[in-house]
Amino acid sequence: MGNFFRGIIRASSFFRKEIFEILRQPRLVATLVLGPFLILFIFGIGYRAQSSTVRTLFVAQSNSPILAKDIQQFGQSMDLMLNYVGVTDNLSQALNQLQHGQVDLVIVEPVDATTTIKNNQQAVFILYHHEIDPTKVSYINYLGWLYAGVVNQQVLRSFAVQGQADAVNLHTSLQDAHQNVSAMRQALQTGDFALAQQKQQGLVTNVDAISQAVGISLGLLDGLQQTNGTSGGSSDPVKSTLTDLSQNTNQLGDSTVSMDARLARLDKVDKDLTDLDTMLAEFQSISPDIIVTPFISETKSIANVQPSILDFFALAVLALLLQHLGVTFAALSIVRERNVGAMELFRVSPLSAAEALLGKYISYMMFGGVIAAILSALLVFVLHVPMLGNWLYFTLVIVAVLFTSLGIGFTISIVSQTDSQAVQYSMIVLLASVFFSGFILSLDTLLKPVRIISWMLPTTYGTLLLRDISLRGITPNWVLLGGLIGIGLVLMLISWRLMRRLIASSQ
Amino acid sequence: MKGDGKSIPVDKEILTPISSSEEGQQQPVQANDSVISARHLTKKFGDETAVDDVSFEVPRASIFGFIGPSGSGKTTTVRLLTGVYVPTNGEVVVFDRNPAKLSRRERVGLGYMPQLFVLYTNLTVWENLNFAASLYGMSLFRRKKMKEALKFVELYEHRSKLARNISGGMLRRLSLASTLVHDPQLLFLDEPTAGIDPVLRHKFWDHFRELKDQGRTIFITTQYVSEADNCDLVGVQNNGKLLLVDSPRGVRHHAYGGDMIDFHTTQPFDFKAEGLLRSLPFVKAKTIRTSPNGMRIIVDNGSTATPELMGWAQQQNIEVKSVEEYTPSFEDVFVELVRPEVRNG
Repeated sequence: MGNFFRGIIRASSFFRKEIFEILRQPRLVATLVLGPFLILFIFGIGYRAQSSTVRTLFVAQSNSPILAKDIQQFGQSMDLMLNYVGVTDNLSQALNQLQHGQVDLVIVEPVDATTTIKNNQQAVFILYHHEIDPTKVSYINYLGWLYAGVVNQQVLRSFAVQGQADAVNLHTSLQDAHQNVSAMRQALQTGDFALAQQKQQGLVTNVDAISQAVGISLGLLDGLQQTNGTSGGSSDPVKSTLTDLSQNTNQLGDSTVSMDARLARLDKVDKDLTDLDTMLAEFQSISPDIIVTPFISETKSIANVQPSILDFFALAVLALLLQHLGVTFAALSIVRERNVGAMELFRVSPLSAAEALLGKYISYMMFGGVIAAILSALLVFVLHVPMLGNWLYFTLVIVAVLFTSLGIGFTISIVSQTDSQAVQYSMIVLLASVFFSGFILSLDTLLKPVRIISWMLPTTYGTLLLRDISLRGITPNWVLLGGLIGIGLVLMLISWRLMRRLIASSQ
Repeated sequence: MKGDGKSIPVDKEILTPISSSEEGQQQPVQANDSVISARHLTKKFGDETAVDDVSFEVPRASIFGFIGPSGSGKTTTVRLLTGVYVPTNGEVVVFDRNPAKLSRRERVGLGYMPQLFVLYTNLTVWENLNFAASLYGMSLFRRKKMKEALKFVELYEHRSKLARNISGGMLRRLSLASTLVHDPQLLFLDEPTAGIDPVLRHKFWDHFRELKDQGRTIFITTQYVSEADNCDLVGVQNNGKLLLVDSPRGVRHHAYGGDMIDFHTTQPFDFKAEGLLRSLPFVKAKTIRTSPNGMRIIVDNGSTATPELMGWAQQQNIEVKSVEEYTPSFEDVFVELVRPEVRNG
């Protein structure tokens, strides 16, 4: 029998041994399969895809320009995020409630907002909180920004409502102006120049009134048109219409021009008045809410599915679990052989480091593969995590993650002196994976030098690749996959060298 | 043939001691064909010297017994011989090579049973043996040999039991079966009979002698010094030092300064007769009165001293009841050998 076949037999001894040892621990296998599945299942059921409401107490001085009923209205308009508790004028009492956890947030209304704004300064809402969680602090900052936006919107809305109310009077002035234009045309055509002069004076008065009133109402619409880019290139169409209207109206009194010219100018005035009337009708037909918040956003994904939070995290959990499984099993494997004294036996035997490692690699890959297959099936067919891509690519990534994780584990195992040391090192790898692999925080949030750690962890590659395959349905990024396998090969080489030294070295 | 009663000097050729089985059969051991050669072997762990300048040779197809009290350095010596440890000083040669540098093919010829069980408690008896057999690259048709090995150590009926569920003695037997299964040429057995019942120990030794007869060489340590009688050569170690290497008979001779003869008469000895007996030239100074009618005397050579003793008794008109050579137990021999060391130590 050749050396090659003897080597295969020796490697197979480790393969069988590891598999039998694992199968003798059915609880361990059940935990490895059911544990992550149940965690994801409960997470899927228990996760609320909305932020928690913050119990908020408002503080407003009795002479505050913002009335208590308005504050309640503001607070209740944000009821998905903010739980309105009440309004008080006692700041210290409010802060005391905050200190004792009776409320989560205290919003203090600005004391003399009108004066502050008149002084060309912004009035400030002050938000007090008692949070230590940076995420929640960010959320409260965001909440404050939203609250200020809500109040600002209400202020703008009141302007819009006022403008629309004023537009009713404007409409009357426009009708008077139209009547004066008709009367003047008739007077000119009948040669009653005195009456025409009188109607022209009335028209001037109408146009002056329109010019003064139009600022608030149609100015808002004009601003909207400019922002939207629909003003046809003119920088201020309302203003230019008013200017034309005013000039033409004044020039109607010029008796030196011909009758035809005066009638043409009168037609122009009539048209401007009709345009203004049309604009006024448009302005009145728009809801004040649309005027103050004319734009909203709506997101649409070009992906084939929109994954839920569970879908998104399930694949990261799978990658992390497989890494942890590989690292832990391998880490304990060799150090345990050393502790029971088996290395002594191996040194005397014809066993080589490559044979021992090969047997262990294959056994753990097979075991990890079975666990991955069961978990993947549960994720896809029970938790309905989308699987848009190719199962072959999916399997390839799983194998690569396991292979590289085993390399980490074997390296740990050979350099560790005791079981406890190996477990500690494995836990450090796990902890690093939680923080640096993009499992919780996106990689973009890390400084580039720190991301070196991320790119040393199989979970980082596994998470990205599995999400691409499952949720986007695309082929894996071959550079990433190659990088992962490359790290695995380097680690296997290191493990082999260390193992060779361990078996060969004598004390 | 008998031993010369001297410890074997390190650099001298091994004489040709005999192996004496319990049945009294004696088979010569060939000299000058050493499988193991240790020269000035020393192993220190920090300031502590575990093995101190030990030299000996183990002839091919022999059983070399290594006896000594606990902590005397037996296991360290075995580890030096197997290449697990590197000597601090001196050298070891196994199969004409440094054991740490043996090729894989040569290692297939080694069998090593460590003192402690180093197999896997989560595997069954059969799986552990299978692992050991695979470790030495035994072919896939190894079941028959595995079955034989388990039957030999009387574990075949327990082959499906997990190793963690069997007794310490059974673990030793499994360890031994794992060492023997690949039929090695040279066996290092570190206390293989510890925790084994006397009947099975007897069976083990029978098997070791069979292996020896088939040309295998066995280096064995034991805490049962009486087992030294089963060996061709015995090394006695204490405090890391090898006190002597000789055949079991030679070791006895060395321990008491000669052969021992029990001399019984029909009448009680008087002081005069005892004095005359002691003054005989072939009688060593040390004599022990075992009964009113009996004396145990130490002589240079038991076989030649017996007729001379009979002649002397006839001259003195002493009626002899019996003259027979006395073989002290190895426990006594061991104590006798180690006692001066203890006194000096």
